[in-house]
Amino acid sequence: MRGIEYFRNISIGQYRAGNSIIHRLTPTTKYLWLLALMIASIASSSYAGALLPLAVALSIGAAAGIGPGFLLRGVKPLIPLLAVAAILQSLFTWPGDESTALLSYGPLAFTAFKARLVLMMFARTLSLMTVIGLFTSVTSEGESVHGIEDLFAPFGRLSGAIARSAHRLALAVGIALRFVPAIVGELEAIAKAQASRGADFGSGRGGPIAKARAYLPLFVPVTVRALERAELLAEAMEARGYTGEGRTRLASYPKQRGEGLARLAAIAVCAASFALDYISRSQR
Amino acid sequence: MAENSNVRKIVVAGVLGALSIALFLTPFGYIPWLAGASLTVMHVPAIIGAVLEGPVVGIVVGGIFGVTALIKAATAPQGPIDAFFVNPLISVLPRLLVGLAAWAVYKAFRGKLTGIAAAVAGIAGSLTNSVLVLGALVAFAAIPPAAAGAVFVANGLIEAALAAVLAAGVVAAWKGIESRGGKARLAKEE
Repeated sequence: MRGIEYFRNISIGQYRAGNSIIHRLTPTTKYLWLLALMIASIASSSYAGALLPLAVALSIGAAAGIGPGFLLRGVKPLIPLLAVAAILQSLFTWPGDESTALLSYGPLAFTAFKARLVLMMFARTLSLMTVIGLFTSVTSEGESVHGIEDLFAPFGRLSGAIARSAHRLALAVGIALRFVPAIVGELEAIAKAQASRGADFGSGRGGPIAKARAYLPLFVPVTVRALERAELLAEAMEARGYTGEGRTRLASYPKQRGEGLARLAAIAVCAASFALDYISRSQR
Repeated sequence: MAENSNVRKIVVAGVLGALSIALFLTPFGYIPWLAGASLTVMHVPAIIGAVLEGPVVGIVVGGIFGVTALIKAATAPQGPIDAFFVNPLISVLPRLLVGLAAWAVYKAFRGKLTGIAAAVAGIAGSLTNSVLVLGALVAFAAIPPAAAGAVFVANGLIEAALAAVLAAGVVAAWKGIESRGGKARLAKEE
């Protein structure tokens, strides 16, 4: 049962506490920046448009005291990706690809069209990775949960239903994050209990069908117990009069000076990326 | 407590979301398969949520799973293929639709045997996951179409069968507990 006990201290993301001007921005502003930079990197079809979010994220990171070394440390595992993608692309052909072959070997050919696909994909992945990494570095778990609610607050003034849905979504995400350690503990406990009865997880023995079948006695009890926990929690919340209406909360995120400007800047950067895209397309 | 109250839906979505995250972060979510590839069951909580509590719960659980995959791909990619999942159109959007598809199929089959309806919902949800994730990978030029087809045959179909068995097992067990009038067993322990 190698490795069953290592999972208690797992975390998602890579929050680095700090008190920089970037850390102090409200979660809403951080979400806006995240969305703006993600849209810019996904929707761009030129290198310049896809790489602008990367440059912006690195500068924001520098202002937050998070160096490019930390943000870009995921790049090293990305380099084999380029090779793997290039090999995959060489093995198969794209319908309608009639560009010149840069390299060819028998029926295999690496064409200019494929090279562009691989490089664009790499640029986009690099930008997204840095942008998401930056967001999780400067936004704590609590902030990201509350931010979901705050992000929809302007729409909530138009309709109570939107505000309620946003509050419920934030609550569900909050509960999910709180319950992860308990569920991981449950998985561990039941895996051990089944192993002591002779079940076999993770070792090399047995065919694939046997492995899949061995999974049932782990998955079903863990899920059923999770649902039991949910039932208990829901009952406890209802017993305390929780309805989801008119909730207030302890944590508040006062607007910093220049917050409005920061939000406008996010939209401007997104627009700039599209402009770069347009320029480089018209030049081609 | 009222069946299908809003509080219950929120909490079930949260707890199944936690299960999805837990499966994603520990090796329990992967089942070793031929040639070093693994099968995954991390989308099954979304299917179960959709079957037990409706489409919105399925979508929320799928979304929590998708965003976890997105963050993990950006902060701690484990292999080259992982890195593609920093694109939310690959990692999040298909997972939102897993629960929706499972719920629609479950609804069409409801009234027949619950276990069978849940199994069919499991197949539908799992195929939605495979087809849309692979489709998105092709659309973003991460892999060529023929490679996606090969992965679908090698992994997608088996995952669908596995999801069917697991969804049917959990739903039958849970409905069984409910219909016997037994309250949650944890309630007696604590």
